[in-house]
Amino acid sequence: MEAKAADKNMDLAEEAVVRSYPYYVDNPVSGDRVSKFLEAFAAILEYTDYRPLLDSYCTSSVKCNRCAVACPIYATTGDPRDIPCYRTNILFDIYKRYFTIGGWLSSRFSNGFQLTEDVIDDMLDVFYRCTACRRCTQECPMGVDHGLLTRLGRYILSLIGIVPKALQVSVREQLEGDTHNTSKVPKKAMLHTLNFLAEELEETIGVSLEFPVDQVGRDYVFFCAVSDYLMEPETLMGNAAVLYAAGDWERWTIGSCNYDGINYGLFYSDWHLETIIKQLVAEVLRLQGKNILIGECGHASRSAHDFVPVFLGKDSYPVINFMEYTLQCLEKGKIELDPNIISERVTYHDPCNIARSGWIVQQPRKILKSFVKDFVDMEPHGQRNYCCGGGGGLVSVDEIHDYRMKIGGKVKAEQIISTGAEIVVAPCANCKKQLKELMEFYDIPCQVVGLHDLILKAIVIPGGKSPQERKEEAELYSM
Amino acid sequence: MEQTLEFFRGPMFALTFGIMVCGLLRHVVIQVYCLANGIGRRLGNAPWHKILAETATWAFPFPHFIKGTVLFSSASFVFHIGLIIVPLFLADHVVLWEGVLQAELPAIGKGLADFLTLTTLACLLILLGCRLFVSRHRAVSRPIDYILLLLIMMPFTTGFLASHPALNPLRWDVVLLVHILSAELLFVMIPFTKLAHVVLFVFDRISPVHWQLRPGAGDKVAQALFGSEARV
Repeated sequence: MEAKAADKNMDLAEEAVVRSYPYYVDNPVSGDRVSKFLEAFAAILEYTDYRPLLDSYCTSSVKCNRCAVACPIYATTGDPRDIPCYRTNILFDIYKRYFTIGGWLSSRFSNGFQLTEDVIDDMLDVFYRCTACRRCTQECPMGVDHGLLTRLGRYILSLIGIVPKALQVSVREQLEGDTHNTSKVPKKAMLHTLNFLAEELEETIGVSLEFPVDQVGRDYVFFCAVSDYLMEPETLMGNAAVLYAAGDWERWTIGSCNYDGINYGLFYSDWHLETIIKQLVAEVLRLQGKNILIGECGHASRSAHDFVPVFLGKDSYPVINFMEYTLQCLEKGKIELDPNIISERVTYHDPCNIARSGWIVQQPRKILKSFVKDFVDMEPHGQRNYCCGGGGGLVSVDEIHDYRMKIGGKVKAEQIISTGAEIVVAPCANCKKQLKELMEFYDIPCQVVGLHDLILKAIVIPGGKSPQERKEEAELYSM
Repeated sequence: MEQTLEFFRGPMFALTFGIMVCGLLRHVVIQVYCLANGIGRRLGNAPWHKILAETATWAFPFPHFIKGTVLFSSASFVFHIGLIIVPLFLADHVVLWEGVLQAELPAIGKGLADFLTLTTLACLLILLGCRLFVSRHRAVSRPIDYILLLLIMMPFTTGFLASHPALNPLRWDVVLLVHILSAELLFVMIPFTKLAHVVLFVFDRISPVHWQLRPGAGDKVAQALFGSEARV
């Protein structure tokens, strides 16, 4: 008996060793993952509103396969596992078999579908091959939201400890760490960066400014992807230039207790999504701000715009994307952009999180067309754009870099090449990182910038250096 | 035989039709109940005008034609026209519906009915061919997807044969019986298979409503699984 138990333990130990993950997982779950998965699924069905959605989808999904044609991942691999319907059918099978009367009844007659460790392996792979861009949802005549179901699959997996370490560690730092942001930028470093950026701005636009931090009662409390402070300072400087030129410098502030708009909960967990949203709103409340102003970041904008009203009520703080603000300023004549500065061919990449719903599609194009001489769109674009290949949090997972380059981003790279653009504007921290890596990987001579990086070059600054003067200085400096 | 036909055309028709109506009503009631109770207070947040506009675009699939979907989508679209019009408005059926609905539906001409029947059958063959011969369709197809296509073919084929005795090599009353039986089997299967999308598509298309997550639910899930310590 003991020998048998020992053998079984050895088998389990071997199994635990054999099970491998396509990405790093912090403390991977050991032992019986099947029971834990079902337990987590049951808890979700009990406390959330996913059941009617699953009931409806899993009965009426017609499997017409339009989603396969819409999916850039499947277009690249041709692997049936990358068909959105295939992926979501795994969840439907589990739901029907273990959580419906019909499934229970049919299991009395034949074993049929069984959730096994292999199925869990399949799920933890396919749910993180999908970039959750939701292009398939748009092409589904039934409207089956494969993006939402991918997220649900990830949510259940995360509850049994299976989530890419890159996402988990970032969120842990944001919620429990000392810095309260995903990139671990300490408050001191952030303040130091702002001083440095103020000096840079003075040198660039010729106006001395001090970034407003912790100012109470301002109209806009500003959150960008925290990486903008380190990796994309020109975007942040562009944002600041617009606020100054529009005469709104006294109307905004950055909060020193929370300056990160990133919300990875959008990609894999209801609890994280809600907790991070509440943390963001708490900062606005502390500063008695009136609006939430989100910088150039697709998922930060969507998570705040869509989920502040969900978790805090419709009458909570209005959420404004910075491109909306800039367009308003442009249309009201509060800012002026010099059309003689950007002569290169420019194209625009629509971040899925703000474009798929149709929210931010025309605004950046109107801005770009007002001062860029040679603007060309990718095909398809706007609501029907292709994902950069790093969506759904994948861009943060460095160990799948090859996947993101060779599969996830291949279609996007081809799209950019076909425009012949020298500059691609990507108003999203994640998209920018992915696209920069893509340009390097495929050796495409195209610069990836934020929208406000270009605006910084072309904006007319009252009392400051003219855009032409700045352009000449920059050319001199680069020689 | 006449008595058998009468039985299946009369009480059995009413029974199977009733099963279909009750089954579909069950789906609608469950969905409406869940929406009203679960998400009800957040329904106002959903972008209803966008949902309606987007749904309306699917009434005609032409704007949605993308490379690789044209044949399947066209066949599917045309097939639905025949599938709705012929069973409801064929002159012989109008009499039948009058008994059930106590209302007289307008009837279509025999020529149009024949055209729609043959078009529907052709579309069904295309849909079947796609599933059989295109690997991406085959990859997600299951036995029920083939069974339903064949089952839908049955009443259309037998109906056409029954109304064209010159083309019918089989016994007329047997063909008519198969026609009635296959239609009744379809009625029964509608609520239990993907054919339920006849009513559920309305609820499928409201995914923006389902993104209105329940406040505090994530916390309750975490507490149920891990106790008071939520997992980060």
